[in-house]
Amino acid sequence: MSRLVRVRAIAQKEVFHILRDPQILIFALGMPVALILLFGYAVSFDVEHIPLAVVDQDHSAESRALVAAFTAQDLFELVATREEPASVEPLLQRNVARAALIIPEGYARDVHRGQMATAQLLLDGADNMSAAIALGYANSIALSQSLGRARVQLGSFEMPVEARVRTLFNPRLQSSVVLVPGLMVIVLVLVAVMLTALTVAREYERGSMEQLFATPVGRIEIILGKLAPYFVLGLVQVLLVLTTGVVLFDVPVNGSLALLFLIASLFLLAMLMQGLVISVVTRNQMVASQVAAISTLLPAMLLSGFVFPIDNMPPVLQGLAHVLPAKYFVDGLRGVLLRGNGLDVVWPDLVAMGLFFVVMLVVSTKRFQRRVA
Amino acid sequence: MADDTRGGDAIVEVDALTKRFGAFTAVDRVSFAVGRGEIFGYLGANGAGKTTTIRMLCGLLAPTEGKALVAGHDVGTHPRRVKRAIGYMSQRFSLYLDLTVEENLAFFSGAYGMYGARRATRIAWALEHAGLADRRGELTRSLPGGIRQRLALASSLLHEPALVFLDEPTAGVDPASRRDFWRLIRQLVRGGTTVFVTTHHLDEAEYCDRVGLMVDGRLVALDTPQGLKATHVPGQVWAVEGATRDQVATALAPAREAKQVHAIQVFGREVHVRVTGPLADRDAFSGALRAAGLGALRLEESQATLEDVFLELVGRGRNGQEEAA
Repeated sequence: MSRLVRVRAIAQKEVFHILRDPQILIFALGMPVALILLFGYAVSFDVEHIPLAVVDQDHSAESRALVAAFTAQDLFELVATREEPASVEPLLQRNVARAALIIPEGYARDVHRGQMATAQLLLDGADNMSAAIALGYANSIALSQSLGRARVQLGSFEMPVEARVRTLFNPRLQSSVVLVPGLMVIVLVLVAVMLTALTVAREYERGSMEQLFATPVGRIEIILGKLAPYFVLGLVQVLLVLTTGVVLFDVPVNGSLALLFLIASLFLLAMLMQGLVISVVTRNQMVASQVAAISTLLPAMLLSGFVFPIDNMPPVLQGLAHVLPAKYFVDGLRGVLLRGNGLDVVWPDLVAMGLFFVVMLVVSTKRFQRRVA
Repeated sequence: MADDTRGGDAIVEVDALTKRFGAFTAVDRVSFAVGRGEIFGYLGANGAGKTTTIRMLCGLLAPTEGKALVAGHDVGTHPRRVKRAIGYMSQRFSLYLDLTVEENLAFFSGAYGMYGARRATRIAWALEHAGLADRRGELTRSLPGGIRQRLALASSLLHEPALVFLDEPTAGVDPASRRDFWRLIRQLVRGGTTVFVTTHHLDEAEYCDRVGLMVDGRLVALDTPQGLKATHVPGQVWAVEGATRDQVATALAPAREAKQVHAIQVFGREVHVRVTGPLADRDAFSGALRAAGLGALRLEESQATLEDVFLELVGRGRNGQEEAA
């Protein structure tokens, strides 16, 4: 009974600290919404409306058909036409256009003769991601143009080999659908690790930890009491990000909500423990916040698979990514949200996060002596 | 060191308690006992080892060597039992400033595992005791220092400990609030609580039943304030007004030769001279000054203070005897 009383007293005190400091609530609840709006609307990895400059030296029906093929969809947008190939380069340099299509004289003639007709595409490699995507678009346009010609010339024609691709789970390959669950990882690490690291370090710094240690409150009681409010706050954030994602960006929830919260809870616990370890080791708010930022934000951004595929990383980083819980959280979350995975698929993610939690718990209780140094 | 404790059985028994941090010995084989119901003052300069001693006695710091029983529990092996039995008011911090008065009390009573009617009764007692019944909803930050200290004391007493450790409770508090605070301490002791208090205000030490003096980690003296003065600064103190220190020193040169003058100190416009032997007599003393041509002086009887004791002992501890007169 008195154990429970002590934990509750600490948790309640922590809630008062949170409520008295508006910055915490703004940070904890405002930032997730701001991030999701930013990533959902402004930051898009979908490359569309690539500004295109055209040099049509052939002036034929065929060349105009090719230009039309490029601009028919929203992929490319015609921003300029020029007569000389040399005059498009400044457009690329000044970023007016990011791609230039140059159709040389004789394009229509070659097409009709059945010879290989060439058109040149200049791409702005300074933005390699957009360039790679534009190249993909251009290739598929060229391929469909060729097929069209082949059908005209041969009456009917089928490709000897054709891959029919159907993209499952996110048919339109919208990045927001993938990003929103990824954002959850950033929001949770920021608040869970940063705030716990700060709250415990603050008690050391102000000397209140000494007063706390002079009471019969035990280590586990301090840990439970201090972390419980932040655990609840984390779950509120999950709900907030998820709701915003579903309402604004049509993020599907194909799997079970309970499983989703189980994954989030386990990840939160792992992160709260990491924050605790940081604060009991540093015992200083300044250092704690820096360590927290470096040890969480970077892995969450870079090593979670949120933006960059882990499989393409050097082995050392891959290894690190497999130790930290961020990757498992993003994996599990995307699995449940997009693929509708059940426990039978996501359990390894849960185990991995659970292991990290246990290790951090052991380290923090070892370092967290109820004595002053 | 004399282990005579007042009022019967001891509530704190310390035997050769030692704390070393690496090569530095913060507390060096300290032994003493504190009797139940006593106000025990622990005196010393900053860094003398007061806080380290108190932290060991509160179970916050494991002793390197030696033993201490606090309320019957060994601080080295059963720190948690010690913590349950005592109250502690730390030097740096005692309250959460972003919590209200009542929230602080609710927290500390909860931290001591109190609940229900007892908790409510004790919080009400603490509000009353600290004189904060009508300010319970105010943020602690907004309270003046003196009232904060009273609240901190009350919150360390919520669980009705038989013994309370106060580490520099009046540091940074104005004189009037200090006097009020000490009134509370005496009230507490009348109720049977033992108070172990560290301070560097020497006037406060006069309120203690017994005073231990720490110098560089060692307990160099332990006695009642009167006993300390009688032992370490014996003799009569004369306050002389109307002459400079040098004039007085020259006038008393023969007595100084005879080791009858122990200290000559300037206090404002007065020169205080502590003497033993024939010069303790008023007429003999004024005669000695007049003989040296120092007439028309105001001469008054003064008192040795604990400050004199402190200077005497600290001077001896650091530099041997040469600082004395």
